[in-house]
Amino acid sequence: MRTDAAHAGAIPEALIEPSLTVGKVTPGSLDDQVLAFPETKPPRQWYLGLAITLTALFIGLGFIGYTFVTGIGAWGNNSPVFWAFDIINFVFWVGIGHAGTLISAILFLFRKRWRNAIARFAEAMTIFAVMCAVIFPLIHVGRPWLAFWLFPYPNQRALWTNFRSPLLWDVFAVNTYFSVSLMFWYLGLIPDIASMRDRTTSKLRKAIYTALAMGWRGAASHWQHYEKAYLLLAGLATGLVLSVHSVVSFDFATSVVPGWHMTIFPPYFVAGAIFAGFAMVVIVLVVVRETMQLKNLITMRHLDVMNKVILAMSCIMGYSYMMEGFTAWYSMNEFLHHGFMNIISGTYGWAGWLTIFCNILFPQILWFRKARASYFWMIMVALGVTVGMWFERFVIIVISLHQDYLPSAWRIYKPTMTDFGILLGTFGLFFTLVLIFARVLPVIATTEVKAILPDAQPSHHGDDHHA
Amino acid sequence: MPETSYAVLGIFDTPDALMKAIPKARASKLGAVEAYTPYPIHGIDDALGLRRSPLGGMVLVMGILGALTAFGFQYWISAIDYPIITGGKGAGSWEAFIPIMFEVTVLFATFTAGLGMLFLLNRLPFFGHPVLSSKSVKGITRDRYALALEAESEGFDSAAAARVLQEAGATEVEILPAPDRSPFLTSAFILRVAAGIFGACVVAGIAMFLVTKWFPLLAPMKYMQDQPRLNAQKPSAFFKDGHGMQRPVAGTVARGHLPTATGTQEAAATLVNPLPRTKEVFAAGRKAYINRCEVCHGALGNGMGSLTAAYGGKPANLQAQQFRDYPDGKIYWAIVNGKNAMPSHAADLSESQRWAVVHYVRALQRAQNAKDEDLKVATP
Repeated sequence: MRTDAAHAGAIPEALIEPSLTVGKVTPGSLDDQVLAFPETKPPRQWYLGLAITLTALFIGLGFIGYTFVTGIGAWGNNSPVFWAFDIINFVFWVGIGHAGTLISAILFLFRKRWRNAIARFAEAMTIFAVMCAVIFPLIHVGRPWLAFWLFPYPNQRALWTNFRSPLLWDVFAVNTYFSVSLMFWYLGLIPDIASMRDRTTSKLRKAIYTALAMGWRGAASHWQHYEKAYLLLAGLATGLVLSVHSVVSFDFATSVVPGWHMTIFPPYFVAGAIFAGFAMVVIVLVVVRETMQLKNLITMRHLDVMNKVILAMSCIMGYSYMMEGFTAWYSMNEFLHHGFMNIISGTYGWAGWLTIFCNILFPQILWFRKARASYFWMIMVALGVTVGMWFERFVIIVISLHQDYLPSAWRIYKPTMTDFGILLGTFGLFFTLVLIFARVLPVIATTEVKAILPDAQPSHHGDDHHA
Repeated sequence: MPETSYAVLGIFDTPDALMKAIPKARASKLGAVEAYTPYPIHGIDDALGLRRSPLGGMVLVMGILGALTAFGFQYWISAIDYPIITGGKGAGSWEAFIPIMFEVTVLFATFTAGLGMLFLLNRLPFFGHPVLSSKSVKGITRDRYALALEAESEGFDSAAAARVLQEAGATEVEILPAPDRSPFLTSAFILRVAAGIFGACVVAGIAMFLVTKWFPLLAPMKYMQDQPRLNAQKPSAFFKDGHGMQRPVAGTVARGHLPTATGTQEAAATLVNPLPRTKEVFAAGRKAYINRCEVCHGALGNGMGSLTAAYGGKPANLQAQQFRDYPDGKIYWAIVNGKNAMPSHAADLSESQRWAVVHYVRALQRAQNAKDEDLKVATP
């Protein structure tokens, strides 16, 4: 407090970063609040939620089984729309994951300390979202039990993979993304799990946590390497935030389909991914904050800042959409022009306008401080963005494919019940994992939050005054 | 007591108190000074005199190695072992390798940073450290800050160390026994691990055998083999006559094989060679003649082919007056239907090849019976 007072004289009030927690939070109270969840019985709502998500998951599994038995013909995909729900959902889910990596990596490098309270949940969502995403390419290959053919390994067929194909780049990008996210998440968890190990009274839990924490004892010499590793991982993951969705966009941009073959695709995809991911994080955090009584740790300020990120990303998306239209017009290419007109006035024009409304127009409401502070509006915007970003991928994929260069091949795409069932199933999987995570592991990175609490760090002037 | 103790822990309630105690503990020179904290404390590295972490260099080296590995692997496959031109790019078009080089670089670097930190630098997992079994560890991973004086030699004086820490402001002091490093190295443990690995290998081997043997034969994995198709030489219930392959409709003629001379040789005499006498036609005729005719009729058409010498057959001497007088149609008829011992070449030679052979036979005949005026044609 002495230090704060000393600073207050020199620095204007408005520039002092307000506290990141509400009320009195000490390292001990933080542990009692956050690490107690795995030790207590979940409330009834949790079981209800799990029942709903598991139902969705099993419906999805049923439809995936149906797909295996009958083949890909169970889906609506057909010439010329060979990519539809499967790739839309893949891009959608990979995108959802990006918020976690952005929060854990880029905001860490920028020393945005507010990220500490939400990083753990966002990182978990990254991992779950990537798990949902990889389901789709796997089942789309038709014979998923042979999906290991995607990897370049010496085989008796004497074949190698094609390293000039963006689809193979995708295999590497998504696998790297998942491995790195998992490593990042686990490293962050180790000190927290050590805390849980030392406070639990259950023998079984103690054994599991002991194994997972690897004997972490908080030695200063360990923290030194740990912090270095965390910094390095943040730097490496930062590259991944930008690269993964860029590589996903190459799947489209390196082809010659009108509406796909554009240089703006990589940045446009990355911005869209962060946009959709933040929306999902807002939805989940609002629920977590309310149901788990974490209001003192995940404050309205956190939500406010995240809403600002959503707003900024919405503006980037607006620019990207305009550039798409501009490119179509300026290229004087009739195919491109036709493709763009399809987005705003074709058979699927409603999807185009839904995308523009949900992603560009509606989020503008977040310019108002009141909207950013209101659960109702932020949830409406976040749900709108989730729907809008899903339909954006629908627009990009289905509208571009259903009318390409050969008018005799044009066809209207209609998804089947199986398509919707599998999509529902991945939502079930995602929220099932989120629910289980919320009760099994620390939902807030307690170690990281402890480090930014008031008086958590030695006062640098202390020695000078007393020397 | 002093000879078995390994370290003395002093507990502090605030990071400030810990930081102030560090110089005093170091000045006592009783042993190595180490701090145990619930989260990283700013500036504690310098206070403890820790060397900089070498992790950055390790990650840099492994990252570069990852990039080179990815490049070498891709280049070897795409340009050397399996060179296939895709998208009109050369086999060694390295630009396309960059995305995977980046990903593998990140992968190598990440695993070096994460696992290198845990396994190499921090020597984890290690479950036998005395701090883990101390009374103080509950506080250390929660909200207490511990400073330890750890034994560096046999003569560690734990009582003196405890006094130093108490004087430096520690609220509690705990004396820890030596770390228990033995359990991992007992022979029983090694035996158990080896047996476990062996058992896992056996189970995995049996599982892999069953999976690779039976799994592809289960539905839906076998659907690829079960596709409804007609095999030419196998029975099929699809057609009434039970044959997979159906006979062609009566009078069906394969492409390029029309018209076929089916009547008598005399009737075929009226057929006219439809091909022009061009260089290409003669070349095609020569090629077909060499492949199909020369073995019996000989390179000059005089019936002295290599088979004649070997088996004593008597193929027609095409240079004989009888054949020089033949109309084109009769030679054509002989190619299609065969004659005497000569088999039909209708299946071997297409319509145009047969007529080209006829032209070529005419050329052979004329070459063997050249007149003076032929020289004028040949001389430019």
